[in-house]
Amino acid sequence: MNAPEPKAAPLATSGKRATYCYQCVAGPDLLTVKVVDGVATEVEPNFAACNVHPGGGKVCVRAYGLVQKTYNPNRVLTPMRRTNPKKGRNEDPGFVPISWDEALDTIAAKLRSVREAGLLDASGYPKVAANFGGGGTPQSYMGTFPAFLAAWGPVDMGFGSGQGVKCTHSEHLYGEFWHRAFTVCPDTPMCNYVISCGANSEASGGVVGVWRHANARERGMKRVQVEPHLSITGACSAEWVPIKPKTDPAFLYALIHVLLHEAKRERLDLEFLKQHSNSPYLVGANGFYLRDAATKKPLLWDLKRNAAVAHDTPGCDPALEGSFTCEAVEIGADAEVLAQGRLEGSPSFAKLVAHVQPYSPEWAAGICDVPAAAMRRIANEYLDHAQVGATIEIEGKTLPYRPVSVSLGKTVNNGWGGFECVWARTLLAVLVGGLEVPGGTLGTTVRLNRPLAERLESVTPGPDGFMHYPMNPTDREHWSARPNIRNAYRTMVPLAANGPWSQALGPTHFSWMFQKETPKGLPTVTLPEVWFVYRTNPAISFWDTKGVSDTMARFPFVVAMAYTRDETNHMADILLPDAVDLESLQLIRIGGSKYIEQFWEHEGYALRQPVVAAQGEARDFTDIATELARRCGLLEAYNASINRGSAGVPLKGESWDFSLDPARAHGRDEIWDAVCKAASADLTGGKEIHDLAWWKEHGLATKPFAHADWYLYPTMVAQGLRFELPYQERLYRIGKELGNRLHENDMQWWNEQLAEYQTLPKWKDFPGLWEKSLIKMGGKTQDFPFWLLTSRSMQYSWGNNVGIQMIHEVADNISGHRGVIINAGTADKLGINEGDQVEIATPQHNVAARAVVRQGIRPDTLLLIGQFSHWVTPYAKDFGVPSMNSLVPMSMELTDATGSGADVVRVSLRRTGGGK
Amino acid sequence: MNDNFGPKPWHQTNWDFRAAFNFIFGGAGAGLLVAAAISGGTGNALRIEILLGLALIGAGLVSVWFEIGRPLRAMNVGFNPFTSWMTRESYVAGLVFVLGLAAAWFDSQPLALAAALGALAFAYCQGRILQGAKGIPAWRVPALIWLIFTTALAEGAGLFVALAALLDAPARGVLAYISLALIARALAWSIYRGSVAKGTVRAALVRLERAGKILVQFGTIAPLALVLVAWLAPEVARIALLLAGLAVIATGWQFKFVLITRAAYNQGFALPHLPVRGTR
Amino acid sequence: MTRWAMVADLRRCVGCQTCTASCKQANATPPDVQWRRVLDMEVGEYPAVKRVFVPVGCMHCDDPPCMHVCPSTATKKRPDGIVTIDYDLCIGCSYCAVACPYQARYKTDRASFAYGKATPAEEQGYDPKRLAVATKCTFCVDRIDAGLAKGLTPGLDPEATPACVNACITQTLSFGDVEDPHSNVSQLLAENQTFRMHEELGTGPGFYYIWDKKDGETAT
Repeated sequence: MNAPEPKAAPLATSGKRATYCYQCVAGPDLLTVKVVDGVATEVEPNFAACNVHPGGGKVCVRAYGLVQKTYNPNRVLTPMRRTNPKKGRNEDPGFVPISWDEALDTIAAKLRSVREAGLLDASGYPKVAANFGGGGTPQSYMGTFPAFLAAWGPVDMGFGSGQGVKCTHSEHLYGEFWHRAFTVCPDTPMCNYVISCGANSEASGGVVGVWRHANARERGMKRVQVEPHLSITGACSAEWVPIKPKTDPAFLYALIHVLLHEAKRERLDLEFLKQHSNSPYLVGANGFYLRDAATKKPLLWDLKRNAAVAHDTPGCDPALEGSFTCEAVEIGADAEVLAQGRLEGSPSFAKLVAHVQPYSPEWAAGICDVPAAAMRRIANEYLDHAQVGATIEIEGKTLPYRPVSVSLGKTVNNGWGGFECVWARTLLAVLVGGLEVPGGTLGTTVRLNRPLAERLESVTPGPDGFMHYPMNPTDREHWSARPNIRNAYRTMVPLAANGPWSQALGPTHFSWMFQKETPKGLPTVTLPEVWFVYRTNPAISFWDTKGVSDTMARFPFVVAMAYTRDETNHMADILLPDAVDLESLQLIRIGGSKYIEQFWEHEGYALRQPVVAAQGEARDFTDIATELARRCGLLEAYNASINRGSAGVPLKGESWDFSLDPARAHGRDEIWDAVCKAASADLTGGKEIHDLAWWKEHGLATKPFAHADWYLYPTMVAQGLRFELPYQERLYRIGKELGNRLHENDMQWWNEQLAEYQTLPKWKDFPGLWEKSLIKMGGKTQDFPFWLLTSRSMQYSWGNNVGIQMIHEVADNISGHRGVIINAGTADKLGINEGDQVEIATPQHNVAARAVVRQGIRPDTLLLIGQFSHWVTPYAKDFGVPSMNSLVPMSMELTDATGSGADVVRVSLRRTGGGK
Repeated sequence: MNDNFGPKPWHQTNWDFRAAFNFIFGGAGAGLLVAAAISGGTGNALRIEILLGLALIGAGLVSVWFEIGRPLRAMNVGFNPFTSWMTRESYVAGLVFVLGLAAAWFDSQPLALAAALGALAFAYCQGRILQGAKGIPAWRVPALIWLIFTTALAEGAGLFVALAALLDAPARGVLAYISLALIARALAWSIYRGSVAKGTVRAALVRLERAGKILVQFGTIAPLALVLVAWLAPEVARIALLLAGLAVIATGWQFKFVLITRAAYNQGFALPHLPVRGTR
Repeated sequence: MTRWAMVADLRRCVGCQTCTASCKQANATPPDVQWRRVLDMEVGEYPAVKRVFVPVGCMHCDDPPCMHVCPSTATKKRPDGIVTIDYDLCIGCSYCAVACPYQARYKTDRASFAYGKATPAEEQGYDPKRLAVATKCTFCVDRIDAGLAKGLTPGLDPEATPACVNACITQTLSFGDVEDPHSNVSQLLAENQTFRMHEELGTGPGFYYIWDKKDGETAT
């Protein structure tokens, strides 16, 4: 176990203390906090971690806000009770301070009464719901609350607060399906050429991403940023391609066309295509694989034997192109035999070649507003940089080396067109053998397969020579006609799987949308009887924010962990002040391979410790959870859950047992002392046991994580598995089956989405879908000529920090934090000057903004950074900066088959007044 | 983006009207001392002119005293005579006060001339103060020194003839001097205008141009014409000189006010090379 | 001799403002006072436009105009190149502020805090000496001096290095002794093409901007 030299002083009134910041998924950052006379004054990198942290141990700007976050005078510092029974934006909640006892008793009494009447309501939905923000990062702050939820039983965690529509949703689902890639990343430390369609790694890749890309730039890596505006990442790229919004699939298809129809075939990685993809699988007339009649194994045509053989036949040289006839069976959805006997089939690769034939750069140029020559050049640069045939030795293993990658950003990667982009991106990697190999395109975490912490171990053999994937069943016998939660992910989205993360990866807007009217076939969507909210503000961060606010105002009992007052806890019945980042205690896993760029050469644990005493009556979340468990009579199950590992590590291991006595309530330090001991035992195989005091002094401890384990390719080879690309027979079958189930239940409202299940996805007029939606809202396209987009703010995103003055001040140095970014030429035509007041409108809503006139944006595009428009949150409510969330509707027609939508809306723009 | 911090040039916020008043009053006061000395006047007229000149210089210094952050440490202004023209201005101001008060007390022409020499140095210091402000392109050009210097002389002469007109005192003796001062000022403006054009932001140039136009039309041509009228037509000389004097002062003052508080853009930031991100 | 200088690699900077934030915290500067900050610049016109992030602050010039104009001698230059302000001497005339071509100087007349009243952290850092006088980046001179006294190397040992450099998440900022040919910054200057801001003014800034490798060899 590598333990850094002690840097943090023992708890005293002055000194430096080690802790972590995990406010966003691109963390954690390891830091120290300087304390003077009991007051936190300064955040610094934990220099002791610089050798284990791949970003040099540096700390993101948001973490520097933690000092002000602690002492923000606008904090809620006592439990509060609502006195006004009426809820709504215009209702004063009339919060009054109450004691912790009263607050916890009130909540426990409510929970006990719910429990006595049954955990599910008449529709079969959990009566208790909970919302946590930020891609799972609140779990690094909520102590043992997950153990309380586990002890409770079914909880609906599928009310969206941004997940699904603000994430790279298509990548999460298809990426994890194809290469255990819930998040996808170039192998930045070794990649030489990146095509980035809207990926904003410089703003959202965290310290590690930013650090690695800076190194790569200096090394000479070329990145081409394809995006309607010149983002932070575009700024830091070698080339900016200002593409028309939502036309990225056409751009990527044109690149594939060049590779398949203009480049010599030998320049592709034919060996990879033959042996590690489904390219040679023979496809029959109905679009399904030709299979061996006896074994049902897919067939391929072996050029050596000049015969069809099962896909896993050793020593064959499969054909990639041509047409072949063989004895076979073609099996469709619901095991229907579509054809058998001597059947003609072509390798899926041949199907692919034909499929992309129409998608030439000239074709795409008219759609993307990008010159054909530029696309052709980029495709050839990609191929030139791929170094097909090259190898590299990593830790004694010789692996293919393909230093090219394509990364996708949010909005490209969710909603309609997301599937096509993710497919095209992954295919571009497959064509040059650059998937899951050094330098290429990597998956960096799993969230739908298990074990969550061990990506490579999640690979197990599945059907047809591919990986297993835990689809929600679509067969008649096992399909879930009655959803377990309100967003119906198990019913509607097979790819969402059914793990702990799945609830947040379904169509999370359905939980809000269906409150008005539940579509046919689903049990009536109900209000939760008790709703817990922590580190999330859906009244600001989701779409149709007015509608969401109105709905949550109807929730009968809302418990909000409240840092300050905000737009969501405005509807709460009880506010609980939890001890914030620098005041509370938790141990988390670090390193290994995690979100986006977070693939390390170490793994271990880091401690977040109370750097200073909690302000006011704020209480550690672990103590809150323990008290709730005790008062609800769930102590035994709660402790058992902690013992099983819900605090991050099982307390009992091969040769150690630090299990808590299930019968009694344990204090915060006692619980985390046990977790700390178990974690250190886990790291060292039981050789070293370190208590909480040790972890407080050292802050973190790690062991090596093999560099070679960043890549899935060796595991696939070892297990004889192929990547399930380019052909999507399984998805096509599942889509057909899902359609059958829905139609058997007379559910016709998902038909558009069912069409997304294709073997080889076709280009559709994706921008046209938003134009149709505009017309449906009552607008004409010519009256609403602008595409309104959003982009991440590194200073704010996920930080729960809009109320922090210092963050506001430094963010202001970056263009766009004060208003809407408008192309200078467009502004000139509309008579708009920098700082002028403008109105941005859809046919249904409008917002006011200040004009920020810039060159780096398409003339037909507007950009609103971040998510503001606060109306309660202290300090932030005075910003006067709108959010696109106020304008974007929730709609079925803009929901894709994975249940996600994209942050795009057509708007008008007009000047309403001069600047100050 | 934070408008306070560029990167495009923005207006300095450090010196406001209080600093401008130092140049407005101080320059005019110094100029008056010079005009009074060379007019050859004596007695109460000289006394009034000297005391008014000193009062104006004093008012300018008091005004700037109100602007400085630590007024109780004002004496520290004298710590850097080696390089700071502000320190030198303060020394010269002290000298001018001593000589001026002595001249007034003793009704002494030689002392008045000595005070006038000090006043010339004072006006020169003011020009050097602005020219030393390297952060403001509209100030740092050497040509500004002579514009500040000549406008001080012109304003002082203008004040002198206006006072004379008001008090119905003889002013014909300084008409040649004021004419020369006005021509010198116009010439200095012309040279300054040529040298400031490069490196100064457009918004500043537009404001300077407007102020300069006023300086030429209403501060040079019009008063010169009025001086000519006064010379040729003694019956209207008094009103003509009063108007001429006021025009000279007002236009000089407005120019300096614009220069300090409206045209004082910094140069922002500029990149002679763009960074290479990955590949050229 | 020693000449402390900062090197900013513009190829690496992403405008994250981590340096700005760390400087504000380490130096306890009040709201809107940013001794270190990063500009967001656009050059060119759509679509041929580039966006560049540029760290700025006091350039600690060889020939500092601020020092020459300062009437109180509050602004001085140390032999090691660091330009300092003696808060006890400064009269707050702001002459230095208009003399500085880099807009690096601030004057705050009244105590101001993030939320009106000082928070406990702000009380810790509050220094009334800084009111109504000129302030600016000090290159964290106290850290340098204390570090040197301990035998540490500024620019390499975090304890002796300016806070912004420690905080920089892209290794854009480097700090060191340009008179030492073996120092980190001397090596950077030897290997790369650099410029200094407004070099034509002859101030000799101690702040260098890297924009490309010296030999121009980049991967393609």
